[in-house]
Amino acid sequence: MEQGAAAIVVDNLRKHYGKIEALRGVTLSIHQGEIFGLLGANGAGKTTLIKSLIGSLRPNGGSTRVLDLDPHTQKRALRRQIGYMPQSPVLYDDLSARDNIRFFGRAHRIPNLEEEISAVLDFTGLREREHSPVHQFSGGMKQRLSLACTLVHKPRLLLLDEPTTGVDPKLREAFWAYFHKLASEGVTLVISTHQMDEALYCDRLAVMRDGVVLACDTPRGLLRRGRTTVRVTNGGSVESETIANTPEALPAFLQRYHLDERVSRIEIEEDTLEAVVLALINARQEDAHVVHPE
Amino acid sequence: MSYTLSNILAVAARVLTQLRHDRRFLILALALPFVTVYMLYLFFEGVDAPIFDPEKFVMPVGAFMVHFITYALCAIALVRERTAETLGRMFVNGYRQVEIIGGYVLAYTLLATVQSLIVLVGLSLLFKLDYPTGTFAALYLTIWLLAIISIAMGILVSNFARNEGQVFPFIPLVIFLSVLLSGMILPTDKLPEWTRPASLITPMYYANIVVQALIKPDGALSDTWGLAGLIIYGIAIFSLATFTLRELE
Repeated sequence: MEQGAAAIVVDNLRKHYGKIEALRGVTLSIHQGEIFGLLGANGAGKTTLIKSLIGSLRPNGGSTRVLDLDPHTQKRALRRQIGYMPQSPVLYDDLSARDNIRFFGRAHRIPNLEEEISAVLDFTGLREREHSPVHQFSGGMKQRLSLACTLVHKPRLLLLDEPTTGVDPKLREAFWAYFHKLASEGVTLVISTHQMDEALYCDRLAVMRDGVVLACDTPRGLLRRGRTTVRVTNGGSVESETIANTPEALPAFLQRYHLDERVSRIEIEEDTLEAVVLALINARQEDAHVVHPE
Repeated sequence: MSYTLSNILAVAARVLTQLRHDRRFLILALALPFVTVYMLYLFFEGVDAPIFDPEKFVMPVGAFMVHFITYALCAIALVRERTAETLGRMFVNGYRQVEIIGGYVLAYTLLATVQSLIVLVGLSLLFKLDYPTGTFAALYLTIWLLAIISIAMGILVSNFARNEGQVFPFIPLVIFLSVLLSGMILPTDKLPEWTRPASLITPMYYANIVVQALIKPDGALSDTWGLAGLIIYGIAIFSLATFTLRELE
């Protein structure tokens, strides 16, 4: 499905806890059917942003529209259409997996609730343990159950705070395949993550630090901000140069060798997304350490 | 079935399922009232009647025990929901304040019903109380109502605490107000003038008025305004608990 109108519009959003500024003027627009990733270290403001979007936190300034609704004045209407998965698996440990999903799903008045519960239990691979109490589950199983509780009412917008933490690689791949399927059906997904390999699955990414969005771009767009190191073994010597990580930079650089037969080896090393994100974050850190004259 | 009622029942069913699975909690919650009633019996057995008239004291003290135990258990249970963030998840999934509190009150009412019965039966057997059946029924109704109000009070107190530890300072406050100012130890007209308004804010004050009226010879519910006071107090405390249940973090 083609990405449509804005599902989320955030303008100059600010939130502080006492003297700590958790969000400092965040501005974002997220399209319907988009998988939007929030990247950043702990304390960057990702969770605060997500909680502001679901109306669990009252911001100190700025405006937010989610599915064309105000998350604070129209939260009842909004919450019927969203699914939120908290960072830690917030579940009732003494209830079974099925009971947990049933309890959180029941408030959404799903007509065929039991069938939907079975479907999400199948998808998250918990069907065989549906009647086991959650305190017997591993961390990864709890994470899967938490996701199942979020998906059971088929929301239009999913806000997932580090959904794949503790989930094994095979299931993680299945999760991302499912997220893409949902996005293709028009569901919007906002996913905060630390995992750079996962970030590449997102349509767009916002890199956050200290409550500020440092960059907002596609994964490829972010990668273009990195550098490419090219090592050319030419005769007996090795020449090394760092160039921009853009499609046109590499051919332009290699032009100078004119396919010289003495060129026996070309090594190309592109910055990874992790390196690009770290460079962005570190640049911000250096800015913050600059002592401004009074 | 209305949407609100359906959600209240969902919360109540969930709390009851949790209680059923927590056998140790259930046993403690039911054994504690009996143990305290028995301790009360041992205490009054050793006290000279001219100082204490057990007949006058045991029923209000029994009611206070149900009040205190129910209040403390409910306050801690709801604070635990807040610290575990399940309360927040309930809100995000569409549950509203009135539904959460209604569900809690409904579930804990079942527990309080049994607790009230244990206290009343224990007191009557140990102290050989010889009231007419109607009086016993009215006493049971009073203790049961007090227990329900205690649930709402527990929820109200939990709304001002961020963790289990912050519930504890409220416990002596409730004990102080209930024991000293409700009239169950000393009649309120013998207390200092400044304490009179404070008496009105404890549910034990109204419960004690009803109990004292009922345990008199030929006492009846129609002789006292205390039950109406208890019901009005209950509605007020339930509304206050609903109003102050914070949804925002």
